[in-house]
Formats: sequence, C-alpha cells, structure tokens
Amino acid sequence: MDLKPLRKFLSSSRSLKWAALVSLAVALLVWWLVSRFAGLPAFILPSPGQVAVRFWKALVDGSLLVDTLTTLVEVLLGLLAGTAGAVVLGYAIARSRLFERLVSPYLVATQAIPIVAIAPLMVIWFGPGILSKVLICALIVFFPVLVNTVVGLRAVPPPLYDLMGSLRATRGQILRMLEVPAALPVLLGGLRIGATLSVIGAVVGELVGSDHGLGFLVNVGRGQYDTALVFVAVFTLIALALTLYGLVSFLERKLLTWQETFER
Amino acid sequence: MKKTFHLILFTLTLLTACGPKPAPSLTTVRLALGYIPDIQFAPLYTAAAKGYFTKAGIQVNLSYMDENQAAELVGSNDLQFAVISGEQVLLARAQGLPLVYVAAWYQKYPVSVVAKSDQGIHTPADLRGKTIGLPGLYGANYIGLRALLHAGGLTEADVKLDSIGYTQVAALSAGRDQAISVYTANEPVQLRAQGYALSELRVADYYNLAGNGLITNETTLSGKSDLVRRMVAVLLHGISDTINDPQAAYQASLGYVDNLAQADATVQKQVLATTIELWKTDRLGYSDPKAWDNMQAVLLDMGLLSQPLDLSKAFSNEFIP
Repeated sequence: MDLKPLRKFLSSSRSLKWAALVSLAVALLVWWLVSRFAGLPAFILPSPGQVAVRFWKALVDGSLLVDTLTTLVEVLLGLLAGTAGAVVLGYAIARSRLFERLVSPYLVATQAIPIVAIAPLMVIWFGPGILSKVLICALIVFFPVLVNTVVGLRAVPPPLYDLMGSLRATRGQILRMLEVPAALPVLLGGLRIGATLSVIGAVVGELVGSDHGLGFLVNVGRGQYDTALVFVAVFTLIALALTLYGLVSFLERKLLTWQETFER
Repeated sequence: MKKTFHLILFTLTLLTACGPKPAPSLTTVRLALGYIPDIQFAPLYTAAAKGYFTKAGIQVNLSYMDENQAAELVGSNDLQFAVISGEQVLLARAQGLPLVYVAAWYQKYPVSVVAKSDQGIHTPADLRGKTIGLPGLYGANYIGLRALLHAGGLTEADVKLDSIGYTQVAALSAGRDQAISVYTANEPVQLRAQGYALSELRVADYYNLAGNGLITNETTLSGKSDLVRRMVAVLLHGISDTINDPQAAYQASLGYVDNLAQADATVQKQVLATTIELWKTDRLGYSDPKAWDNMQAVLLDMGLLSQPLDLSKAFSNEFIP
C-alpha cells in the first residue's frame, strides 16, 4: 500500500488546519458525551448545546458585547501601560548594572505578590473603576516584557556598537537603528506572553468588584447558579486571549520581515 | 485442666463486661459555612465545645467557603449540609439544584444600608440620587438593597450602584460612596466602633425575608432524615445556648475563630449581641412561609427568577421541635 499521498497530506499546511478543526470537534464530542451520559446536572456541567443557547441569549440582549468591550479596553490599556513601563525600565536596566542591582529585588518582588491577594487592595487604593483593573493588568504584563527587553538589548553583539561608534552614530541613531531592531524579536516574544496574561489581570480585577466586564459576567453566572453563563464568559475570555496572541504574532511577522530576508 | 480453662474464661468474660463500652460510631458531617470563621457562628462553636454534636452521633467538620460554592456542593450531594441565605436556595432551585432549607437560623434578614448621619438618610426614599456601594450585583447585599429601594418606591435607576467588592467600609470612610449595603451585624458595628455616626436602614424593618439557615439536599432528606433531624436539633440547641449565655458562647468561639482573642473584645461581643437580636423568635428554627413568599416576589421583581417556584419544596418546618 502506498502511503506517500497520506504522508504528503499530513505534512501539508492544509492538514494542519484540518488537525485543529478535528481536535476541536473531538473535544466538543467528548464534552457532549460526558454531559449526556455521566448523569451530571447542568449546574455542574452544561452541555455544549446549552452553552451555545446561553451564548446566543447573551449576545442578543447585548450584555456579552458590552462586557467583552469593557474587558478589552481594560486589557489594551493595561497592556499599553505595562509594556511602556517595562520597556523604559528594561532599557535602563540593560544599560546600567548599578541600576539593575538597585531595582531588581523590587521587580522580582512584584512577581512574588499573588495578584488575587492584592487585587482587593488595589480596588480600595485606586477605586473600583477602570484604573484599578488597568493597573492590575499592567502589573501582570510588566515582568515578562521587562525580562525580554533586557535579554533582547543585552543580546546585541558588542562589535555592532563599535561599528556604530566608528560611523559616529548618535545615541538616538544607535537606539533606533541598532538596539530597537535587535531587541524587537525577543521583546515581541514577551509581549505575546503579556497579552495572554493581561486578560487574567483584567478578570481578577473585575471579580473583586465591577459593574461590567467578563469577570463581572462570571460573578453573575456564579451568583445565579447559571453555569452555562460562566462557560460563555470563560470561552469569550479564551477567544479574547487567542485574538490578542494572534495580533501580536501578526505584528511580529510584519515588523520582523527584515529578519526573514536577512536569514535567507 | 478443664477447671483452669473455665476459670480463665470466666475471668476474661468478667473483665470484658467491666471494661469501657465501645464508642458508638459517629456519622461524619462536613458543614459548609460562609467565607471565614466568625463570632456570628457562635452557636455551632458552642454546640461543638459542649459536645452536642457528639451526643447526637455526629462528628462535625466545619468548612469555610463562599455561599455559591457551598450551595453547589450540597446540590451535587458532595456535602450534605451548609448554612446559606434564603434567596440562594430559590436561585439554586431555579437552576435545578435540589436544595431544601430545613431550619431558619436568622429570623430577620441580616442586611442594612448605612450612611454617615450627615447624609440625611432616614427612610428608603431618602436613597434617591445617592451612590450606594455594594460587593456586586448579586448576593444578599444586592437582594436586600433592592428590597429597600422597593420599600422606598425607588428602582435601580433612581440611585447609582457602585460595585466595589467587599470594600464597603473603606468606600464609606473615604467618602467615595454616600451609602453602603452591608451585613447588619458586622460593618455598622465596626464603623460605629471607629467613631462614625451612622444612620442605618435595616431591610428587616421593611420586609420579612428568608435569611440564613441550615440547608440540605433532597437525597439526604429522603435517605437520612434522622441525620437531618439530629443536625437541626444540635443547631437549635447551640442557638438557644448562645442567646441565653452570650459570654459563654464568646468563650467557646475563642477556640474556633483565629485571631478572635487578639481582636477588640468589646466590638466582637457587640457583633455577637447584634447578631443574636436577628435570631430571636418564639419558635427557633421556624421558617415563616410569608418570608419565602416575599423573597420569591423580590426575586421575580428583580428578574432573577423567571417564574414562580414550588416553595413547599424549598423549605421545611418538619424537622424543628
């Protein structure tokens, strides 16, 4: 039997797309089978159909859209704030060992803080509005982007600095033409991680206290024993995180086309 | 030889007869309570300290968790008992959780809306236009607030609700919110102890609603009704003892509530005294059907229930003395 065509199909990009769809279909089937035959009531495990109906209901009444947009705004602002802070501080750390010694313990400490424990305090300090959620998001995004910024900048080969120096490049030119392009691949890797984590940050803030957002929707679902609604909120959050991840990957491909050309 | 054998046998029999009787086997029960150990659970600590559970053949383990989780665990029969609020029973039953409320602990709904005295809030109607802080648009704080607004002829559109998590005390102190929805026996006592002059609107003064009580599920009710009866009896015995001797209940609670010994004893005793007032009734454990009717009407009005439930299945007075 000639397996060559099968092997060819399996290694093609078309088969990769099919693999994702098949794995999704299998997961849905297993979920449906468990909910159908394990004798579990809907408040423990709703079926895919029940979740789909609840999703449609939330979509039609407009609540899902409002809550998703609320979370998206918090996530984007948090991502922006966290990334901006991390890049600026990361640059300073990469350039100065003394500065690194001074601030590193505090930066590592921010990662040791359980965000769930500090979120209620953030709400007290900064109010239950958007600011506390954005700050929680920024706190979560900050560290992976910072680490990747430092790693990216430190990976610039020293001879290239010598070359720029011999060309009498200014500080701004070195930054723009050498350091930013060199650090960008690693920095974007950190941003990809930060983008998915930022969704968690926004939701943690919303779970503590909010009027809108997907975390609020989880609270409402739990408060009314509407597990299907909790699933709707969770799946929307997953979709949001995947979209952000995809956007950063897209950005990566667009910004790093020079790298592919260079490698070729 | 035979004589010696009989003598040994006789001695052994005698020794066995005189020895301690084997302890009757205890039924282990994990009882879910709200959030964290608190002086407000003093009746259970009293009952445990005085051995009422053991005498009833129960080995009790107290577990602290949020109300929704407790209801879900009892609904799925992973736990047999919990203490939760009346509205949770109806909301859960509407979603198919087979919960049954078997003893009313709180005879008065334990939620208040408080404000600093200078806000001039003396009746529910005075809440018009005010910003009111509450944990979120769910739970007893929200239900109680909505009932108060209804009593004042107001709707949610007449006030500004501020969902702030459990940070109401900070929100009121800082002047962020003009009023807050809180537990009657807790935050108002704490705030007054800090020197704030407060005006307080108690939900119980306007509406008779089903408050916190002991719940079980239909499986336990049908298969282990004797256990339910014993649990109810122990709870009511604990409540009765606490009402009659709050000082002894406070002492018993010291062994169960972390940090109680370090807390301000005057405030904690005041919390207990305020709570006790919410339990008092002529017949401990009795669920007033009118309170359930009212609760259902409030939930229907809020849109949290889409249709009326069969209330006779939601609560029972069969197990109280």
